[in-house]
This record gives sequence, C-alpha cells and structure tokens, in this order.
Amino acid sequence: MAEIIIEHVTKTFGAFTAVDDIDMTFEDGEVACLLGPSGCGKTTLMRMLSGLETPTKGRVIFGGRDVTRLPPRKRNVGMVFQYPVMYPTLSVFENLELPMRYDRSVARDERRRRVDEILDVLDIRHLSKAFIEELDAGTRQKVAVGRAVVRQSEIVLFDEPTTNVEVNAKLQLIRAFKTVTSRLKQTIVYVTHDQTEAMTLADRIALMRSGRIVQYDRPQVLYGEPTTEFGGWFLGNPGMNFVPATVSGGTISAPILARPLPAPGDLRGDRIAVGIRPELVRMAGIAGPDSVPAKLVDQAIGIAGRYLTKAAIGDTVVKVNTKGRPPAKLGETVHLSVPRERLMLFADGDRVPARFS
Amino acid sequence: MTTDISVTSVDESRPAKRRRSRPRLFENRTVLVLALLAPVLTFFIVFNTIPTLWLLGLSFYNYSLTSGMPPDFVGFRNFFAILASKNAIWFDLSRTFTFVLCGVTIQTLLGGMLGFLFWGSKKMPGRRIALTMLFAPMVLTPVATGTFFRFIYDPTFGVLNYIARAGFGAGPIDFLGDPDLAFWSVLAVDCWMWTPFMTLMTLAALGSVPTAELEAAEIDRVPMWRRLPLVIWHHGKFILMLGILLRTIDSFKTLDLIIPMTKGGPGQNTRLVALELNKQAFESFNMGWSSAYAVLLLLISIAMTSVFIFVLNLRRRRESGS
Repeated sequence: MAEIIIEHVTKTFGAFTAVDDIDMTFEDGEVACLLGPSGCGKTTLMRMLSGLETPTKGRVIFGGRDVTRLPPRKRNVGMVFQYPVMYPTLSVFENLELPMRYDRSVARDERRRRVDEILDVLDIRHLSKAFIEELDAGTRQKVAVGRAVVRQSEIVLFDEPTTNVEVNAKLQLIRAFKTVTSRLKQTIVYVTHDQTEAMTLADRIALMRSGRIVQYDRPQVLYGEPTTEFGGWFLGNPGMNFVPATVSGGTISAPILARPLPAPGDLRGDRIAVGIRPELVRMAGIAGPDSVPAKLVDQAIGIAGRYLTKAAIGDTVVKVNTKGRPPAKLGETVHLSVPRERLMLFADGDRVPARFS
Repeated sequence: MTTDISVTSVDESRPAKRRRSRPRLFENRTVLVLALLAPVLTFFIVFNTIPTLWLLGLSFYNYSLTSGMPPDFVGFRNFFAILASKNAIWFDLSRTFTFVLCGVTIQTLLGGMLGFLFWGSKKMPGRRIALTMLFAPMVLTPVATGTFFRFIYDPTFGVLNYIARAGFGAGPIDFLGDPDLAFWSVLAVDCWMWTPFMTLMTLAALGSVPTAELEAAEIDRVPMWRRLPLVIWHHGKFILMLGILLRTIDSFKTLDLIIPMTKGGPGQNTRLVALELNKQAFESFNMGWSSAYAVLLLLISIAMTSVFIFVLNLRRRRESGS
C-alpha cells in the first residue's frame, strides 16, 4: 500500500505562501492530476512529495511511513521533470538501468529484464544504444519516463512532463503515459496546467488555486459539478458562463432567463451569478417558449464542426458553443434558451447547492 | 542607433520616416560591421599585433641599447645562442615548468574543493561575505602581495617565524633565503593568490550544470561519487579546463610576484623564465637576445594552449561522433 497522505502541509518562501495548509490523500494505485494555472503551487506541492523541498509545516506520509524530513533518495519515488533529463554519457539502455544499478536488491538479470520490458512498453527498443544527441526532446522525455517507472517504486511523480515537447511528440508521450500507468499499479501524481492532459490521464483531479486545493474529484464530476466559479471557468474551452443575477422577493432573475428562478431559502451573498456551460446554451433563429433575444457579436470556427460564438443580451455577453453554423449572421438577432435543470447558482464565487426544473 | 530610439519615442505615427533616418553609409552591412569592429581592431593592432611583430623583427638583430651601435642583422644567431647556451636557461625553463605544474595542480585541487564547499552550502549564513573575502587575494596587485609576504616570511620580525618560535619552539626559518625553501615559499604565495581564481572557475563550472539533472540524480539514487562523472563533469568540464588553461599561461609568465620577494634568488633558486627575460631586457638592455628569448617563450605558450584546446575538442568530437 502506498497511498500518499498530505497533512496540513504549508510551504512558504519568505513572505510568499506557495502551498497553504493542504490536507488531502492520494489513493493507492490511482493517477491523480494536480491541475491549476501557473504559480498556483502545484509544482511546489509535488516537490515536497519528492523531497526536493521540505514543508514549512505539516507532514507527508507514504503508505504509513512519515517521509516529511527524508531526502529524495530515501523516499523511493520515481520522478519525471519538466526538462527532459537524460544522462549524457550513458546510452538509453544504461540510462534506464541506472536507478537500479546501485540497488543491491535487484539482481543483474532482473535489471536487464525490466529494462527490456520498459523498452517495449515505450516503443524505443530500436534506440536502446542511442545517446542523448541523437534523440529529440520527446524521446528524451520518454527515456526519462522509463527511468522513473523502471525501478517499480510505489510512487511516481510527473512534473509537467510535456511542457518542453512539441505537439506531435506530446500526443505520443501521453499515449505512452497511458500504457505505462495502466500496466504498473503505481500511485501516480501528475502535475499539469493543461486540462486536456489532466482529463485524459487522471482518475482524479485536484484543482489548485493560490496554494489551495479548490476541488478534488473525478474528471467528470469536476467538469459537470464545479464547486466554485473558478472551477467552472478553468475547465472547459471556453469556460463556463457566469451571468450576474439579482435576487428579489424569493426569485432570481438574470438576463439569460426568460422566467425568474425560485431562490433557495438559504441564499446569501453580495454577488449572485447563474452559471451555464457554453455547449448547453441553445441558439435558435426563431423565438421559442423560454428564449431571450440576443445579438450575435462574435463567431469563430471550433473543432469537430462546432462554432464558438458570443451573443450579447444588453450588456451581458454569453459564450455559446453551437453545433454547426450559427443560425444568424454577425450583428443579427438570435434567440438563446437554457435548460433550467443544468443551471448552477453561485454566490460570491462558491456554488450554492440548488436544482431547478 | 541612438537616433533610432529617440525618433521612435517622439514620433511613433510615422515609422516609415524612422527607417530612412539611419545613415545611408550603414545601409551596407559590411560597412556597418567594419565600423563597429574598427575601435577594437585598432586597439588590438596598435597594442598587440605591432609590438609582437616588432619583437619578432628585433629577435633577428644584435641590438644593445647601451652600446650605442645601430642594430645589426644576425639572422637566427640569437636563437642558436639561446638554444646552445650552457648557462642556466635550461634550468630556468625546467624550474618554470615545475612552478607551473605544481602551482596549477595545487590551485586546481584546492580551488576545486573550495568551490564544491561553497556550492554545497548555498543556505549558509554569511556565505556572500566569505566569498568576497576569499576573492580578495586575486584582486591584489602581485607586487603588493609579494612585498607583504616578504614581511610575513621575514626571519627576524615576520609573523610566521613568530608563530614557529612561540608555537613550536623552532629556530628562525629563513623562508626566502634558504635555497631549499625559497622555491616552495614562493610557490605557496602563488597558490595563496590564485586558488580563489580556480574556486571562481569551479563555481562557474558547477553553475553550468542543469539543476534538473542534479535533482534527477538524487531521485534516481545515484551515489554522490557517481554524480561527479555522470552529471557534473560533463557539463562543467569546459569552463574548468578553460580556467586551468588561463592559469597555466598566466603562471608561465609569473614575474611581479617574485621580484619583491627574492628577485630570483637565493642563487637562482626562484629564477623563472620571465625574471631572466626581464633582467636581460631591462637591466642589461640586450634587446635582440631577449626578443629572441621572448619569441621562444611565446612559442611554448602557444604550444601549451594548442594542446589544451586539442584535448578539449578531441573529447567533444568523440562524443558527437559516437
């Protein structure tokens, strides 16, 4: 068992708090992604797991073993860095062998066998005698991934491994991650700022912002049920719409709503907003029963035949992701309607648990 | 260039005009390049190339400043005279080689170790002050260093002898006067002065090692003694070798450090090639002879540099070729 328990961990650099009292558990054998914008503390948190940084406060526990003060080499973790590290004087084979070279518990034959296996998994057998100069960044990173997992340590950490790799190699690399992670039942923590990567790889995603975990859940839940405006905005491309709403006499009204919504009794807050994903907003050329008129102000071609458009209701601009070409030309009137049961209510940036019908 | 910037900031609405404000002459790339190179080239030619050629020319003449005779062309006779001489020149050369070899080795080892210590103690309080103090000897004038070390070494009132007497009850030791000790005492001062330089070079070399690779080595549980060849040496060797090369050339020319201490004595025990050259040229005024001697030393320097560069390139060629 090697679940990772993070107990009230805080890390400060001078006056700056990089990680602010995080308390969470990464389950054994799961792939967890730390997702968040640059500077949110995700890399710092990971470096504390690897031992390259020591927490200012709190404890890190690997499968019951307190490792808070242990140096990296005593933690038995594998790690892949942002910068593709490959030892320049060693061939690919020797690189993969290196983490086990000085480990007496792994016999020479066993070592060879594991390296052979990893060469096949990563599809780099033909390069086993190559040196760093002959390989591109993507392949170097593959070697680094191999080196991190070959030791079969219970925990493997990935620190934004695709950042320095060009797009084509990136997809290959992600496919390799998938193969590797499904084969080896290691606990994996993967840091990224790329939501697609996180969605593809993760069993669970920890969304971070300003040194704190905003939400920690399965990808579908994180996408479908964000607990904060930040979560709704950060995930999805484009992010969720937040339409400012006003509350009066037990009802909520907003420009996007044809009829007001009943306000839940415990609704408090200065800033109330109604949230809806752009792909859930329906755009039509003719008025419907629950639609509001809007002016089409922007459109761009998205992927898979979808269009990313913006429509203005008075001063409020709503992003709409339509299937196929929008029903009107720029500057013309369209009619927007929203499925009431998919609306979310936010008060001061936090989700208010309420369902509408 | 300056006009370019001022025009941009004052008038941004007419960028087309800005282009034309560059002098016509510089439109031609070659002219611009030459114009930019001219100052440094002039400096180099006036203060480096011309004197070297002058020296080369002078080495073929018999020319003494004191005799009042005009220079007399003698061909290679100066060189033959030096190479065939039975006097101490060969001893001077071997002494200089010993000085260079011992000095540079000690400075590299000691400086390297200090460099590693400073590199590994990034969080130590007062590290910056310690570094600044460490580099102080390097910035001092060699003549001043030599002078105050003569006082430190002095057998009657020098502080070293005071310590030797008070601490160990040893009799007065004449560090610079004793034929067995003088050479090593002078060498010690050279090391005192130039070890910081090798520390600096080691720190620079270590700074060129990517942090990620060091961190990866730590994660991969590579033992400390294996990290040196695997990661550090690979990235740091070029800068370190450059340091050793600079030190070798510089050490070969040591002069001003020794003059205030021993002037080459006792006997000829600390007489390095540069001292003899200095004496022949500026005390005996044998310009032709000393020019020829300087040319020979220059050739030796060039040979040493070439070997270094060849070795460095050899390693790189082998790496890219494999």
